[in-house]
Amino acid sequence: MRQLIVRRLLQSVPMLFFISLVCFALVKAAPGDPVLSFVTPNMHADDIERIRHNLGLDQPGYVQYGIWLKDSLTGNLGYSLVNHRPVMPQIVERLPATAGLMGASIALAVLLSIPLGLLAGSNRNRWVDKLVNLLAYIGISVPLFWLSILFIYFCSIKLHWLPSLGMHTIGKKGALDVIKHAILPCSVLTISFLSVYVRYIRSSAISQLKEDYVQIQYAFGSAKRTILFRHVMKHVLLPVITLLGMSLGDLVTGAIVTEAVFSWPGIGSLGVTAVRGFDYPIILGITLFASILLIVGNLLADILYGIADPRIKITR
Amino acid sequence: MRKPLFAAAILLTLLLSACSSGNGNNNSGAAPSENPSTNNTQPAADEQPKDGGNLIIAVGADPVLLNPNYAGDRVSLTIDQALYAPLFQVNNGKKTFYLAESLEPSADNLTYTLKLKSGLTWHDGEKLTADDVVFTIDKILDEKQNSFLRANFIIGGKPIKAVKVDDTTVEFKLPQVSPAFEATLVQVTPIPKHIFENEADIEKSPKNSTPVGSGAFKFKEYKTGEYVTLERFDNYFAGKPHLDSITYRIAKDTNAANLALQNGEINIKYLDPQDVATIQATNNFEITPYSEGRLSYLLFNENSDTGVMGKKEVRQALSYALSRDELIATAYMSGDYADPAKSILASDNIYFDNDVASFDNDAEKAKELLKTAGVSGLKLRFMTSSGNKAQEAIALYVQQKLKAIGVDVEIKPLDASAYGAKFVDPKAADFELAAAGYIMGYDPDAYSILYTTGGDANYTHYSNKAVDELFKQGAGEGDAAKRGEIYKKLQELVAEDAPVYPIAYTKTIVAVDKKYGGLQEAVLKPVVIFEDPSKLYLK
Repeated sequence: MRQLIVRRLLQSVPMLFFISLVCFALVKAAPGDPVLSFVTPNMHADDIERIRHNLGLDQPGYVQYGIWLKDSLTGNLGYSLVNHRPVMPQIVERLPATAGLMGASIALAVLLSIPLGLLAGSNRNRWVDKLVNLLAYIGISVPLFWLSILFIYFCSIKLHWLPSLGMHTIGKKGALDVIKHAILPCSVLTISFLSVYVRYIRSSAISQLKEDYVQIQYAFGSAKRTILFRHVMKHVLLPVITLLGMSLGDLVTGAIVTEAVFSWPGIGSLGVTAVRGFDYPIILGITLFASILLIVGNLLADILYGIADPRIKITR
Repeated sequence: MRKPLFAAAILLTLLLSACSSGNGNNNSGAAPSENPSTNNTQPAADEQPKDGGNLIIAVGADPVLLNPNYAGDRVSLTIDQALYAPLFQVNNGKKTFYLAESLEPSADNLTYTLKLKSGLTWHDGEKLTADDVVFTIDKILDEKQNSFLRANFIIGGKPIKAVKVDDTTVEFKLPQVSPAFEATLVQVTPIPKHIFENEADIEKSPKNSTPVGSGAFKFKEYKTGEYVTLERFDNYFAGKPHLDSITYRIAKDTNAANLALQNGEINIKYLDPQDVATIQATNNFEITPYSEGRLSYLLFNENSDTGVMGKKEVRQALSYALSRDELIATAYMSGDYADPAKSILASDNIYFDNDVASFDNDAEKAKELLKTAGVSGLKLRFMTSSGNKAQEAIALYVQQKLKAIGVDVEIKPLDASAYGAKFVDPKAADFELAAAGYIMGYDPDAYSILYTTGGDANYTHYSNKAVDELFKQGAGEGDAAKRGEIYKKLQELVAEDAPVYPIAYTKTIVAVDKKYGGLQEAVLKPVVIFEDPSKLYLK
């Protein structure tokens, strides 16, 4: 097992290299350059050239990439081209906000979607199923920003229950305050994840319910609830593990729209600003973080698969 | 106007805002001596300012860098305005001294003597002296420090020199006469020498994250992505500010920020013209449009590969086909938020003169001119930045109006950054039309890079030897009356050549919660909202 993990992680090194190369090439190929994000018509061309030269932006692309690669191998992800702060602390200081929000939303979505999905699946084509399905469809199709604005309008403006902006009340600290601020964005995200998960679990439950072992349990007179939650659920958990593994990457980049609407100080908004400003050190930094998490997530999913169902052997 | 210029520029011009929308920047055609912003603020006379309370201002992004030598974006400039005191300010033609007590040119106009007030201190208690001013200028001139003000301090190929005379006196020695020097100096805000003295690269210095300024409010807390809080500086030279603190709340989504405004989570915010009615309906806000000295214009790219835009008659003909009033109604909702523009100088310019040739509202004349120019079956490409509402509106309007004179316009929407890159690319030849805007400040010399042959920012590729000569004369003319004549002639000449079609001097609209007073004293100012936020108070 340990060997497998090490091997898989080693295999991901060239992949990360490749990802960074593609990202870099794409940023470079896009029209625009970071200097443009602070150029103004009343700046003289001399100043622009001098700054471009000082930032090393007049070097050929491969040299710039080479410098970035060399630095990042020593753990230095470089400096933002726009605000000139080092990349790593900028990502690190924003990571908890996004990870916390996404983590809570995903966890809630999983907890809610398992019973809902099982319920719908076991009552196929009955009203419960139709209702859950309908809600899931709505959840998938409604644009997140619109849903967010709707939540803000009712919960903040009309009812004055919850704050609509940021993660803290100005000057206040403490977990309770953060939770209060997180409720709205978290609800929106939970709804969006939930809708996808429910449909996944529902179809998985439906196929499981056709299996022989279920029929045998029925034949033995087991209660429906016991069958569902003791036997079927175990099998249904497998696809959930895959979903979770894939969601790990989202912990870094997932909540872009929601973060913008709620002014949530996470990685998503940092990334969007960086993309607009052609700030490639930030873009590459975020991409690397997300890629690493995705790779680790998939690996974890594989391992959990093995634990959840010992018949599944982890190979290669 | 310190760097408002920059900011403005940044946000607006290059990034296309060309016109409008976004953060609401604009500017009006009001006479320079009037501040239109004050028209519906509360009567200050019958109220005594109270002390205490907090104010929350919405900003659209994180500040880039809280160091005035590098602040070019609207958010950093706005926060810096409260955090760092400027030497002096010029707003709507009125000069106000802050750290400086006076600025006097010598008889030969080659030396400017700046006197600082006495007893000035930085937020950490250190004395603010002539050393800091000299240090700031030296760092701007240092090629290794990426300041984008540097070229402004190189006059005729030589740098100016800042020399300390005594603790409160600095002399600026100019290599040659430059009446625009004061407009350059107004952009400078001193940074503390004792903090940055040993930093090799000030731009990357970690000390920028806990800025020490000299303004009315001192740095308290910055939560990335959330807010920046400043608190009252009791030793502020102009008197203790009324408010306890000001917080700049980062709100990226305009719709959500508007809701937060109504909810009381934000007290001050820029509005788009489209949102004014909603906010007004709450009856809780003073809504004030004010001038930012910004010109919104239609650009004719003379460098286009078809070559037609090089003909003056064609540019005049296209102008004749349009109507400013209709354009303003289309792009800016109403004349309340934009005044018709004819001159290339913005309305806050000291030599602004809107009484120049304007080609407007005459389709017949337009057709005639096209015939004279020997042009028929004209096809033009109009580049827009997708998502920019004002630009899109202008493009559609232009398309429809030019159709009436037999000109086909193809609208080419580009991604914002692609648009920005193409706009400033001197070789771009695959478009004829674009909508844009600029804020260039109150001295007309700044405009030379836009309209002189081969100018750094001559995006139209306009060239007229007489205009080049006038800019040169104006830059070196010490006599204000003669200088005025030069720029009057220049404005007429450029208007006649029609390198651009000036549309409007657009205004910024700002909503301020009625709980707050002192708006008139704080003075609404381009880009940074308030010139002196120490005067604001909670009623």
